[in-house]
This record gives sequence, structure tokens and C-alpha cells, in this order.
Amino acid sequence: MGTIRVRFITVALVVSFFAVGMAAFLNYFKYKSTISGIVKSRVLVIGRNIENSVQASLSVGMQFMEIGTMNALLAREKASDRLIRGIDVFDHTGQVLYSTDKGRVGEKVLVSWTDAAARSKSTEWGLEGDDEYVAGISLKNNFDLTVGYLALRYSSEEVQRAAKVAGREILLASVVSFVGIALIAPLALIVVIRRFERDLRTLETAASHLEDRTEQPVPTGSAFDAAIGNLRSSLRDANTALDDLRAKLDSAAPTK
Amino acid sequence: MLEKNYLWRIYWRLAGVIMVCVVVALAVVSYFSHRVFERELVPETEQKAATVGASVRALVLKATSYGIEFSSLYGVEQTFAEVFEENPEFAYMAITNTDGNVLFARGSEPIGARTHFRNPVVLQIAHETTDMSKAARVGEQYIVSMPINDDGKPLGVLHVGIDSKFVEHVLLEVLLDVVVVLVVSLFFTLELLNFMAGARLASGLGEFARQVERMKSGDFTATARIRANDEIGRLLRRIDSAIDHLNVRYEFLVGELQDKLRTAAGAQREALRPASQALEQIGKRFRFGSAPQEAEGDEMNLNRIRAPLFAFILAEELTRSFLPTYVNQLLVSIPGISPQVVIGLPIMLFMLIVALGQPYLGSWSERVGRRKAMLVGAMIATVGFAGTALAYNLYDLLLWRSLCALGYAMVFVAAQGYVLDRTGQQNRAQGFALFIGAIMVATVCGPSIGGILADNIGFRMSFGVSAVMALLSILAIARLPTVEVRPTGTKPSRAPRMREVMALVLNKRFMTLTGLAAMPAKIILTGVCFYLVPLYIVSIGNTSTMAGRMLMVYAVMMVLIVPLSASLSDATMRRDRYVSVGLIISGMSGLLLLLSDSFLVLFGVVFLLGLGQALSIAAQSALVAEHCQEEIRIYGHDAVYGVYRLLERLGNALGPLIASLLVIFWGYQGAFIALSALVLFCGVAFTIATRGADWEPAPAH
Repeated sequence: MGTIRVRFITVALVVSFFAVGMAAFLNYFKYKSTISGIVKSRVLVIGRNIENSVQASLSVGMQFMEIGTMNALLAREKASDRLIRGIDVFDHTGQVLYSTDKGRVGEKVLVSWTDAAARSKSTEWGLEGDDEYVAGISLKNNFDLTVGYLALRYSSEEVQRAAKVAGREILLASVVSFVGIALIAPLALIVVIRRFERDLRTLETAASHLEDRTEQPVPTGSAFDAAIGNLRSSLRDANTALDDLRAKLDSAAPTK
Repeated sequence: MLEKNYLWRIYWRLAGVIMVCVVVALAVVSYFSHRVFERELVPETEQKAATVGASVRALVLKATSYGIEFSSLYGVEQTFAEVFEENPEFAYMAITNTDGNVLFARGSEPIGARTHFRNPVVLQIAHETTDMSKAARVGEQYIVSMPINDDGKPLGVLHVGIDSKFVEHVLLEVLLDVVVVLVVSLFFTLELLNFMAGARLASGLGEFARQVERMKSGDFTATARIRANDEIGRLLRRIDSAIDHLNVRYEFLVGELQDKLRTAAGAQREALRPASQALEQIGKRFRFGSAPQEAEGDEMNLNRIRAPLFAFILAEELTRSFLPTYVNQLLVSIPGISPQVVIGLPIMLFMLIVALGQPYLGSWSERVGRRKAMLVGAMIATVGFAGTALAYNLYDLLLWRSLCALGYAMVFVAAQGYVLDRTGQQNRAQGFALFIGAIMVATVCGPSIGGILADNIGFRMSFGVSAVMALLSILAIARLPTVEVRPTGTKPSRAPRMREVMALVLNKRFMTLTGLAAMPAKIILTGVCFYLVPLYIVSIGNTSTMAGRMLMVYAVMMVLIVPLSASLSDATMRRDRYVSVGLIISGMSGLLLLLSDSFLVLFGVVFLLGLGQALSIAAQSALVAEHCQEEIRIYGHDAVYGVYRLLERLGNALGPLIASLLVIFWGYQGAFIALSALVLFCGVAFTIATRGADWEPAPAH
């Protein structure tokens, strides 16, 4: 196989690898973000129920720190979805005020939680850890002042599992597509560059017979016909001149 | 001889075939992805529907627990509407009684829903006391049904309809990105064809064509070149061999004749006269022997600059669509400076360093060597990108971005110098077409791919990708020839002196061009494309990917229109008109936002800006030579163009500053409009200023 052909095929394979790889990357990450969004919004539905209850309590004059039914409410809402591992309510310093896990009350949440809650432009915020994801809501009173934060901790397993399954299948489809291209593209390229290769072959053949004293080759319709003609006639002219010199030297009397 | 476009025709055909293959492959990946999406996302959404349904059901049961009649509940449809607002994938919600009759409903009812609700299996759901739900495909929706059961007393069934098209909607967004990938792949293909095969092919065929011309003119001098081991290389070796044989034959004949002449006397010498005359004739018609050593400034080495330049510029362009949003994340409050201005600071600083650094770095790269200057620049930028990826806050980010700017200026100037060193008057335009081509292709590919990366792997990782690209460019730069080429008789370049800067800044003709055309064009470019578009798009709830797509529209317009407008403005010699029209179109772009703030209008803004800039950009710099001949005569070409470029690049630095100040007063839309109005004003002023008789090109001295 010609070197040029190999280079063209390599280009096709590199570009195809890039395009298929990018498509697989896009599909995988879109899937992951979509499934993650669906699961998060599902968890936030439960969060909204809690938020509504908190706001109802605040609107009748109860203090945020003294909502007696809060722990029971959190426990009930936690039980409504098997995905949820725990629910915490914390203040702006990060101290947990209420939690489904009694041991967490009074402890501080991770700084990344308070940062994410503070950075969010809406009332919803979220974080993704390795094992656990957090979906949160900023709890506001009737004066639209943030009184605390609600954090629903849920297992990342569901998202990870779904992403793993989808990732495997998308990867498989991409590999199959790439292998398909690797088989088809060279054939298609060979068809397209056949004319160019023929032109080059014609040129190479003509170049290998440049010093023959035969007639001009029949034009092949190649893009190089004119160039070949010029090459041959230039060489013929030079050779003829040297032949003439040879003849004149031969015709002169030999030196004794 | 070979047609000029012979190779390009082959490239386009090859690119066409590769694109067809890529499209087929992308279609296959998309088809399988669609299947996976549908299979996995639908059950997950059904679970979400069940959770949402449980929440609605709790409200219903709360109301009935207060003694309100189930069939007379108030505000149920309103609750459904709120659910739709928060969950756009839900298309229909209904509550039916135990007979399957619809009591409350909202949304578009799928065909066959009423029959489905009366299905005995569905009716049976009302009698369930657990938290179960059942899903079934009805028409174009997946209906999730769950019981409304008050402590064993069946009241009815709640149905939530999921639009089956929601998977298509999700995939449509991916499809837009895939189209971006396709466009990038096309440019990438052409770039790779040129890098992996084209450069060598073009130089090989060029060498062949030159060899044919030499032989046609009787030049059979032998060249001592090393030929590549490919088809063209083999061909050239055969020609070399034919020439060598001819040279050997010639040398032999000359030697024989000289021998004979040396020993000949009298009649014998007379007999050799025809041979001597023949040799004399040969000497007049042909040239044999060794060809003089050619300078290294050949086409092959010129082409080799394209790949490193493309890789390096791509590294910077990748960051365009998300840099302001990233800065926004690392924002720290600086007393006395508005956050809007602070967000624009890294871009301003970058542009300022490039503007002020380039005049001095040009002569520096000349001293240390272009290759070495590029290597140092790319290394500094790599550190800058890596540092940006790991930036702690805005302060160290400014430091890292400064390194990126310094590296960028070094590589840019050194690459420009590399092209200048290897081109003469005849092929300089071709050399710069290659230089600008690499930059333009990087501009098309970078922001769009950068936006996609930022949205999916995050800002920091995307800067990491930029660092890797800059690192790859170092490898490509290292492959450039180590031998520097200096065209003979050229003066070393120098930065413009303060005296020259002041004189030109006060020169009316020069400043009409620079102050009313070049600077406003750059102000609107960086102000809109680098600052406003990425921030505005994210502020209206969209993504960096969309910002990247927008910036790609601008770059594609430049790639398509600039060559056309350059040749047309050169042909008509009405360059000032092209600049006027370009500025006015650019100036009108932002005014579109007066009509609406829709996404389509923003697309129109970027489209018009790209069109306007493309029309004026090529004509602008040519106008300097056309209308400032007197100034060029006094201060020199380098000084006039040096000051012109300096002021133009200062416009780049001013763009984000002006845009950010406008945002403080009038918000994003107001900033778009005000910036455009400023450019429109400059465009009109430029048109008026260039209409007078004193604007006629000055006679050449």
C-alpha cells in the first residue's frame, strides 16, 4: 500500500475516532446529567413537602429552632422514598438543627454544603460526592429571609448504576461504529484517491523510463501528462546534444 | 503544469468521504444512545412521577380528611399546573373516580386515555391500599396511575402522563452538540490532511513542478537533497537519477575532449574543433554540475508551523466560552470595584499583556530564534493553563492568566516571525494565509468544544485540557527546524518609539482609521464575544455549550466571509466602503436586542457581528498602507503598523472594561445595545470622515 494512501487512511481514522469519541462522550454525560437531574428532582419533591410544612409552621408564628414536629416530619418523608439516606436541617453556620440521624444533631455539615447553598442563585442547591449525593433547599420565612437549609442525602448508587449501564452500551455502540468506519473508510478512500494514485503511478512509470529513447508515451489523461511530456523532451534534448558531442568526438582522429 | 487547486480538489473529496463516514458513525451512536436513553430514562421518570403523584395525593387526602367532597375539591387543576411548571416532562394529569370518569384534568389528554381509565385493571388500582403505581403506554404518553385511597375506602385514581417525546427533547440537545462536533470534525479533517499528508505532498509536488521547469529551461544541475520515502519522493529520486546520469555523461565527454585537446596538435586539434563548438553550444543551452545550496526557506518548513500554531491557539480558544463564568465562580470582592468589572479583569489583563508585549517580543524572538521563543512561550502558557485549572481564587487566577497571555504573545509573535523569515515578496500572502488559516480554524473549533467540555467535565478539567493542548503544541514546536532563517538585507524589527506613538496618535488621518474603525471593531469583538455573550447566555439559564455554539457562529462567518471580502475590497479598491459597511453592520447587531431578548435574536446579534467584522477586518489594515503613505514615509512601515496594531490591541483590552461598566448601569441587554450604538456611531463618523477630498490616498513618494 502506498505511503500517501496510508496517511490519508490514518487521517480518516483519527478524525473518526475524535468524532465518535466526542459523540459517545456527549451522549454519556448528557445521560448522566439527565438521570442525575431526574433523581435529584424526585428527591426535591420530598424536600418541597418539608419546605411547605416548615413555612406553614413559621407563618403561624413558630420559631425555626423550635418546630417540635420537625423530626417526625423528616422521618416520615425519609420513609416515603427508599433512595433517601437521611435528611438534615442546618443553619447558616452549618450546625445541624434537625436530622433523621439523631447523632448528627449539633454537628457541623461540610463546608462545601454551606458554600454550595450560599453560591446558588435559586433556592435549590446540590452536591455530588462519591458515595452520596445531596439535594438541598434554602428555607425562607414569609419575609423571604433564609432561616436555614434543608439537605436530603441520597445514595449515588442509582445514578452510578444507570450511568454504568448506559456508559457500557454507548461505549459498545461507539466501538462498533468506529470498527465499522475503520473497515469502510479505507475502502471508500481508496475509491476516491484511485485517480490520484493512478496519476502518481503514471508519473512514476514515466519517470522510470525517462532515459529510454522510446517515443513519447500515449497521453493517459493524467494531470501530470504535460509535466511528463516536458520532462521527457527536456532530457531528450540534452541527450541529443550530448550524442552529437559524442559523434563529433568519435569522428575526430584518435590520439596516438 | 499542475493546476493550482489540484491538491485542494483531492482534499475536499477526501474530506467529503470522511465526513460521510463520520455522519454514518454518529447516526449509529445516536441511534443506540436513543435506545439506551429511552429504556433507562422512562422507568426513572415513572418513579419520579410516582413521587410527585404521592405528594399531590397527600394534598387530596388532606383536603378530604377535612370533610370536603372528593368530587368537589377546589384548586386541583391549579396544583396540576404548578406540577407541570416544575416538571416539564409531565404532559397530563388527571384524577378519575372509581368508575374511571375524569373529575379533574390538566394538560394534553393522550388519545385513548378515557378507555384506558375505564380499563378494569386500572380501575382495580383504586382499591389498592399500598403505595403502588402502575405505568402503561397510552398514545404518545406513559401514564403512571396510583390509588387515592382513604384508609381502605377507594376514592379514585391519580394519573400522571409523561410525554414520550421528552427523551427526544433530551437527545435534541445532544444532537446540536453532535452537529457542532461534525463541523469541528470537518475543519479538523482538513487541518489533519494538511498536517499528516498535505504539507509533504504539496511540497513534493511543488518540488517536482519546479524541477520540471528547471529542466525545461535547460538546468540539469544536480541537487543533493534527501527525498522522502513515499511516492513523490521515489519519483523525485528517479528524476535525480536521470539528471545524475546526464551529468556523469557530460563530465565524461568534457574530460575526454579536454584530454584529446591537451595531447592534440595541428590537424588533430583542427579535427576536434566541431566537438569543441558542440560543447560550447551545450554550455549555452544547458547547465550541468551541482546546484547551488538553497536556503531552508522552502514550502515544507513553512507549512510545518501550522500544526503547532493550531494546537497552541486551540488551547486558548477552548476557554473563550466559559472563562467569564469560571471567573464568576472564583470571584472575591475587591473594595471599590464592581463584580462585573472584576469578572472582566482576567480578559482585560490578558489582552493588555498581549497588546503591550507584542512590539517588544518581536525583536526578542528575532534575537533568541523563533523556535526557541515559541518553545518558551508555549511552556509558560502550559504552566498558566495548569495554574488556571487549579486556581484558588481570583488573585492567583490573574497571575496564571497573565502567564497565559505572555505565552500567547510570545508564540503568536514568534510564529508570525517564522512565516516572515521563510517567505519573500512572492509568497508572503500565501504564508500569512497559512498563519491566519490555522488561527481561524482554531477559533471555529475551540469555543464550541470548550463549552461542551466545561458543561460536562467542569471548568477546571477543561482548563486541564487546554494545558494538555498547549503541551502538545510544545511537542509540535520541537519538531520545527532548529536552523533559523534570516532573509538577507532585512533590518531587525523594533518596537515603536514613544515619539512615534505620540505623533501618530495626534495624526488625523491615522486616527480616523485607528480610532474610528480598528479600535471600535476590537472593542465590540472582545466586549461582546469574550465578555457579554458567555455571561449573558449563562445568566438566562443556558449553558457554556450554547455560548460556545454562538461563538462558533461568529468564527464560521469570519472563515467564510473574510477571504471573499478581502478579494472584493482589493479588486474594487473601495476598502473604506467595506470598513464603513462592516462597522455599521457590527453596530446594528446589538440593537436587535431592542426588538426582543429571545435566543434567536441573540443568534442574530452574533451573526451580524461576525458579518460586519468579516467585511471590515481585511480592508482595515490594507487602508493603513493606502492612506498613510506620508506617515509611512516619515516614520517607517514598521512604526506605523506597530502603533496601529498596538492601538488595535488596546481596543481588545478596553472591550471587556467598557462592556462591564455598561452592565453595571444598564444590565446585559443594555450593554449589548450601548456597545453596538457606540460602534454604529463610529461607523457613521468614519463614513463621513472618509467622504471628503482630503481622504483621497496620498501620492506615493
